[in-house]
Formats: sequence, structure tokens, C-alpha cells
Amino acid sequence: MIFDPYTCRKDFPILNRILPNGKPLVYLDNSATTQKPSCVIDAMSRYYLEYNSNVHRAVHTLSSEATNAYEGAREMIADWFGLTDGNLLFTSGTTEAINLVAHSWGRANLSKGDVIVLTEMEHHSDIVPWQMLAEETGVELRWVPFDKENFQLDMAAFEMSLEDAKLVCCIHTSNVLGIRNPVEEIISLAHNVGARVLIDAAQAAPHDRIGISELGADFVAVSAHKMSGPTGIGALFVNAETLTEMKPFLGGGDMIREVFLDHSTYQEGSFKFEAGTPKIAEAIGWAEAVKWLSNIGFESSHSHSIKLAQKVADAFRNIPGMTVLGRQDNDDAPLISFIHDSLHAADMAQMLDAHGIAIRTGHHCAQPLLRSLGLTSTNRASFYLYNTEEEADFLIETVQKLVERFS
Amino acid sequence: MCKEFGTGNWPPALQEIIDEFSEIEDQMERLEILFDYSEEIDELPPAEWSESTIVHGCQSEAHIKVTFSQESGFHLIGAADAKLVQGLMAVTSIGLEGLSLEEVVNFSPDFASEMGLMNILSPSRANGFRNMLHKIQEDTKNLKE
Repeated sequence: MIFDPYTCRKDFPILNRILPNGKPLVYLDNSATTQKPSCVIDAMSRYYLEYNSNVHRAVHTLSSEATNAYEGAREMIADWFGLTDGNLLFTSGTTEAINLVAHSWGRANLSKGDVIVLTEMEHHSDIVPWQMLAEETGVELRWVPFDKENFQLDMAAFEMSLEDAKLVCCIHTSNVLGIRNPVEEIISLAHNVGARVLIDAAQAAPHDRIGISELGADFVAVSAHKMSGPTGIGALFVNAETLTEMKPFLGGGDMIREVFLDHSTYQEGSFKFEAGTPKIAEAIGWAEAVKWLSNIGFESSHSHSIKLAQKVADAFRNIPGMTVLGRQDNDDAPLISFIHDSLHAADMAQMLDAHGIAIRTGHHCAQPLLRSLGLTSTNRASFYLYNTEEEADFLIETVQKLVERFS
Repeated sequence: MCKEFGTGNWPPALQEIIDEFSEIEDQMERLEILFDYSEEIDELPPAEWSESTIVHGCQSEAHIKVTFSQESGFHLIGAADAKLVQGLMAVTSIGLEGLSLEEVVNFSPDFASEMGLMNILSPSRANGFRNMLHKIQEDTKNLKE
């Protein structure tokens, strides 16, 4: 299948929206969340209209249909990400997935004297759970810096930090810089010293099928809504061996085998970590997104969106007073964080909105990263497979005009 | 005598600004004018920005200081790193200039909606505006006491 962004766009009615100010929507906030194709919305709606039922235990027809769809979704999503050995645990998203690791694996396996190695590039969701764990257990957090010129992780510092490391946490692709980190090397070095590895792949999943089992990380966290799926669902992929080291996360229905008044026994595998009624419609919607991605020529979509990001980054770098972060290499995420010397990020975003252009502004839940660059906020334009060259050109022209008028 | 300022009864200088804004249909043009108003405030130099001047809950960094004298009434000094925020601050300062302390404390925030700004500002910025006016009024209450 040959990838064509203009064909893709037809599946997203929202992209034809005219905003209240009369401007057509130019949606460039895809790193925050992507839009959903009609088939995803229809699949979720069909579940509620035709076979809404709780999954797993009932014997009636609707429940069987819902169970088949829900567990079928798990298989389809696991296949998409190349999970051949291990488990897919449904979570509410990347944040919950990382918190799950901190609670279920961290509390059971880490104690004072142990070290968790993290990078300065991490998203808050891969910082705060570990700070909470450190406060509780006395485990040490060790931070790996990145080069402030070329934005690459300091791998020498990483290797030095591995002494006594029990866990390494690393963002696969930075949500601020777009940089794809050398995760294969990081996993290999960490495993050499016997440390487990958690990869936050939230920003990688929209552009990369990851190949989770081949990658070999012990934990990989992703969110559905950044890859055409619904909000409220994500996954934690855990390899089989590591799963046996994890205690249950939330207690309740579905995760138990038997409950007595004085104790309970737990399910095996993924179910042990999925208490309560799961995100049934969301899982079905996510599987539909994966099916849709399989049919549009996904493999070549990234080269389309990274070219758009490269074009915008090149043009912005020629605007006097503009700082552009990242390097927009072919393997990086198609995003551009930028900030102009004399036009505050929030003002820039507000004025772009007046032109119909939706971008992100702020610290992007990565305050330590921004602080290390001497910044408090940036603008971030992020592309996805349905964005067009015309939209990239319109962003360039509009930013150029705003800078000329207001700086 | 203390006046209650609100819809249909704004200080003349503020009414003029409301009229100017309400004649504009285009969102971008409104933002441009607001941007230009950022020059109209008695600017608080960054060296004087402190914990006591900061407006909390604002997306950008905004600072205000209130003053009052029997001769010239209320006066607002302020600044923000974002020009649109400083513009809104300037319009507020024009509206409040010379009022009594009680008039400032009871001043209605509705002028921003009448200018058509609350629809075009993001919810977090609209919230920031309310926080700014709240701080002005709280600081003014302290001046009274």
C-alpha cells in the first residue's frame, strides 16, 4: 500500500473543521494527542450500540462477544508492537503504566542502597513516580545529562552511572526535542550490569512499531491516543521473567483467583494487574486504530511527517532570534520545539490559534529538561501522517509574519 | 462617593477601549491591539518582581503592585513576560486609574468579556486574568487596612 496523506485525511472529519473564528483547522499538536479516524469512533460506538457487556465471566452472548473483542484487541495490539514473548497489561496510558512498575515491581524489588538511573530528558510521568518511590524506600535516583548543543545523551556518563543500578528508565523519543535515544545500546549496557530497563515509548509509538520483544527491554510503556486510538487506554509490555517479580497493583475484581476473609489468591499473567471492569470500548477502539494503520502504508508514513518537520525546522532556523531545539533526524519524532527571543511562547501560540493553527505551548511536562536549557517554555509543532506540505508551509509563513510584526 | 463599576457604567477611558474592541470582528486584530496596549502600563521593572508581586496561576510570569494616594487615587504598576498578558494588565490599569480603594475592590471583571477577549483567550489565560484582578483587589484591601 502506498502511503498518501491526502487519502488518510479523508478518514478524519475533524480535520475539515472550520473554527469559530472562521479559519480552517491546522492541527499540529499531535505529540499531545492525535486525531481519531472515523473507523475507531465507529468501532467504539458499535460496541456500545450492539454488544455492550462486561467481559470475562458471564456466559451470555453479549459478554462472549465483548470478551472476544477485548481479548482479540489485546492480541492485535501485541502483534502490532512485535510482542512475541511477554505480556501486554492494559493501563490508562503511559503514566499509569510507569506508576504500575514503580508500585508493583519497584516496591517489591528495590530498597535503600539500590540505584535507579534516569535521564534529564524524562517526561514528568517518568520522574515523579520514582521520586515518590525514592522518598518511601531510600533508593537513589541518578540522572544522566544530555549535550546542550547536539541534544544527545551523554553515554559516557550513562555508563558511569550504572554502578549498583537495579533499574534504568529512559524515554525512547523525547517529547520536547524529538530526539530518538540509542535505546538498544542503553538496554544492552543496563542488562550487562543486571539492571532492568523501562522504556517510555509514548512518543515513539506513533511513528515506530518498536518491535518490543526484539528490543528486549523489561518494561515498555505506550499510550493509544498518540497513535490514532482513543484516550484513557495504554499498555505496559512486560517480559515473562520480569512479570514474575511483580506484586499486584490494584486489588479488586478480575485480578483474583479466590477471595477468603483472611486472604486472597491472584490470577496469573496480565489479569493479575487489571483489577475491575477494564477499558473495553477503548481497547476495541485501539485495535481498530492498529487495523487502520496496517491498511494505510504506515511504514512509509514516518518519512512523510519527518520531512515536514525538517522543512519547518530549516525555515525556522533562518528566522533571526529563533531557537529551534532538536535535530529532526530521520529516526526522530516529527516535532519542532521553538522559541523566539522577543515573542513569548504563549503569545505566539495564541496568535497562531487566531490563524487556525493548533500547537502546544509550555513546559511539555519536562521541566527539568527545559530548565537544563535555561528555558521555562517553548512552542511545539508536531506532525502526524495526515498533515500536509501546505500545512507546513502555512505554519512557516504565519510564524515568519508574526515575528516580523511583533518582535 | 463610591461608584459600582460594571456593564453600562464603566470609567470613560475603559468604556472607550471596550467600544474600540467591540467594533473589531477579527480575532487577530483584537490580539494585535491588545499587544500594542502592553506599552500603556506603568511598567514594574523586572528587578522589582518578587514573591509579593507575582500573580499565581498565570501561564506566563506576571507581576503587579498597587499604589494609592489621596490626591490621585488608585494606580497600578505591573509587567508580564508575555505581551498579551501585559496588554490586558494595561487595559485593567486604565480602567482602575484614579479610583477609590473601595471602587477598585468592587470592580467587575466583566469588561474583559465585553471587549470580546474571554472568547479568544485560552481557558488558562482567562483564568490568569481572573487571578490578576483578584490579586489587585486583595492587595488593595490590604492597602485599606
